[in-house]
Amino acid sequence: MTALALIFTLAAIGIAETRYLITKRMEGNAPVCFIGQDCHKVLVSRYNKILGVHNDILGLLFYLSVGFITALIVLEVPTSLPLVLFLGVMLFVGSLMSIYFTYLQGVVLNSWCFWCLMSAMTIWLMTIVFIFI
Amino acid sequence: MNKASFHILRVGLAITFLWIGLLILKDPVAWSGYIGPWLLPYLPVGAKEIMLTTAFFDIIVGLWLLLDYKLWIPAGLATLHLGTVIIVAGINAITVRDIGLFAASLALLFETFPRK
Repeated sequence: MTALALIFTLAAIGIAETRYLITKRMEGNAPVCFIGQDCHKVLVSRYNKILGVHNDILGLLFYLSVGFITALIVLEVPTSLPLVLFLGVMLFVGSLMSIYFTYLQGVVLNSWCFWCLMSAMTIWLMTIVFIFI
Repeated sequence: MNKASFHILRVGLAITFLWIGLLILKDPVAWSGYIGPWLLPYLPVGAKEIMLTTAFFDIIVGLWLLLDYKLWIPAGLATLHLGTVIIVAGINAITVRDIGLFAASLALLFETFPRK
């Protein structure tokens, strides 16, 4: 239960974070950058979309799905076991994507984005917690 | 209020509401034990149904707080709800924490209430 509570909490943090990024993008404002000044540079780069969908929207959908699936597991719905496996696959793919995005920031764009790193950390933490369920 | 502090308060409160809602949904009968016995005869429906409604209410308020839209509404609902919980359940070892949550919701309501 503690592990699920942690994953659920991290998913909620991810929802709040991606919601903030979506709002800032739609308003045309740069988000607050707590570390460095490169957030905007990363967020408007050519890598900010996958198949035409903004990464912040994909992130929001990812966190909403993780939160929802975790909630179903907590509620012990009859299909809990497949859901646990599905959650594991989602987190594994999310972790790989985060590694790719971190690589893009560090190597290709040579700029760091605080919010993107925070999102990556959130997903990696969720995955680590999931391993210990 | 500092902007970062405000968002920490908002997200923290949202997570609390979401998680509590989920726990109530999981076992509404156990949670109905927190309803003061003096109130039970006056309930229009069963205690379990009241707790199920509370669970959905908590989840909606939590999600609304998380999505940061017209925040004064979920903050107001949260304040009203927690005020009701304190009255209905009384103050015991568990609900004493609701005083802190009530204060947090009230702070969020004061901060977000539309001003002319």
